Amino acid sequence: MEKDYALHNYLNGIATQEEIEQLKADPEYASYIKIAKTTQGFDTPNFDEEATFNAISEKLKQKPKVKKLNPWATVLKIAAVFAVLFAGYLYIDSLGTTISTSVAEKQNFSLPDRSEVALNANSTIEYNKNKWDNNRELELDGEAYFKVTKGNTFTVQTKNGAVTVLGTQFNVFARDKKLQVNCYEGLVSVAFNDTLIKLSAGKNLQIKNGNIVTEHQSIAEAPSWINNESSFENATLETVLNELKRQYTITIDASEDLKNKRFSGSFTHNDLDLALQLICDPLNLTYTIEKDQVTIYATKNK
Amino acid sequence: MDKNTTICNENTFNKVYKEHGKAIWRFIYFKCGNEAQAEDLVQDAFIKLWKNCAKVPVDKAKSFLYTITNNAFLNEVAHKKVVLKHAKHQPDKVEHQSPQFLLEEKQYHEKLQNAIANLTEAQRTAFLLNRIEGKKYKEIAEALDISVKAVEKRMSLALKSLREEIGDI
Repeated sequence: MEKDYALHNYLNGIATQEEIEQLKADPEYASYIKIAKTTQGFDTPNFDEEATFNAISEKLKQKPKVKKLNPWATVLKIAAVFAVLFAGYLYIDSLGTTISTSVAEKQNFSLPDRSEVALNANSTIEYNKNKWDNNRELELDGEAYFKVTKGNTFTVQTKNGAVTVLGTQFNVFARDKKLQVNCYEGLVSVAFNDTLIKLSAGKNLQIKNGNIVTEHQSIAEAPSWINNESSFENATLETVLNELKRQYTITIDASEDLKNKRFSGSFTHNDLDLALQLICDPLNLTYTIEKDQVTIYATKNK
Repeated sequence: MDKNTTICNENTFNKVYKEHGKAIWRFIYFKCGNEAQAEDLVQDAFIKLWKNCAKVPVDKAKSFLYTITNNAFLNEVAHKKVVLKHAKHQPDKVEHQSPQFLLEEKQYHEKLQNAIANLTEAQRTAFLLNRIEGKKYKEIAEALDISVKAVEKRMSLALKSLREEIGDI
């Protein structure tokens, strides 16, 4: 213990000569002294005092700038969060309500202003619920029948043109390149390219491949499909069969030369056999049904 | 320097740096053996000192710097082997310069340096502050924020493990 005391004194530089002699006499403590003394001669790598000071000065000069930016950065961060939320709100707000039907499915629904819509098979309607009061506008792909309540302009946008009304009942068929509008009550205006065509009750308009095809009277009070029946007047068999495929989940096999045959009449949506009979008999065609596969061909024994 | 003046004056700050910058750097180097890290910590410490200059009187600057770097060091993990060099000449050895003696001396130095590098960080820092920096136990205790007794203990343990590693002379 005494030697330890002397050793600490030595390390603190306050040991007496006597104490040092005493330590050196003991091999263990002599080792300590040698270690201590040798270490004293060691040094660290060089420290570049000036360069470090310059670095510090440099950093201190930058600091105020950073400080000034910081509050803005925070404000910007908060603003960014709000911007994202707002954009998200706008996006969700702008997202339309979409109503779709698949093959062999019909759907009736009301728009926010109580206008009624009957959506035929394989059709889609998209509209914005939130903006409906100011802007009665919807997009249609397919066929639908509208009973519009009186109010602002009511617009149906289709790929081929816009149908605008004030309050009326009308049917819009918009598939592929064909747009057909039937007006059942009131007045309907159809904007097609630069032309504006007015349809009064009972009138019918077809636009096919960019051409206005027919415009003639129809006596029905509502489209026949509303009553689960599809009616045609001088339509190609192709058109008829396409409609048939929408009303029944079937695939149809018919040779090309048959497709241009003209058909006037109607078929029901409830009975495939009856429907095929109604289509085929007047055209002198025969059909077979195998599960979902319908084959139509010309009757041979004629 | 007036005891109560703050460091918020550039001249005062420069003086404080001149007085303690190098010592602080060596202090950290003893701990981590990483020159670049030591330099970074010195920079950080003085930048902190400048930012808090209004709160730190000149006579407290030293302990402020040691505390800051010590804490900062504890937060960093990267440790390197402490490499020391043989810088200070020891004139009392001059008369024994036989080649054999020089070789033995060299080997001894190498062994000792390795042994120092292998000490625990706490022991090495205390030991080198005392030996290389020539600090008294009391000063070491202040710098490390520990008691003088603790410094004594670290010194004893450091010497003991160094001797165990390199053996007697």
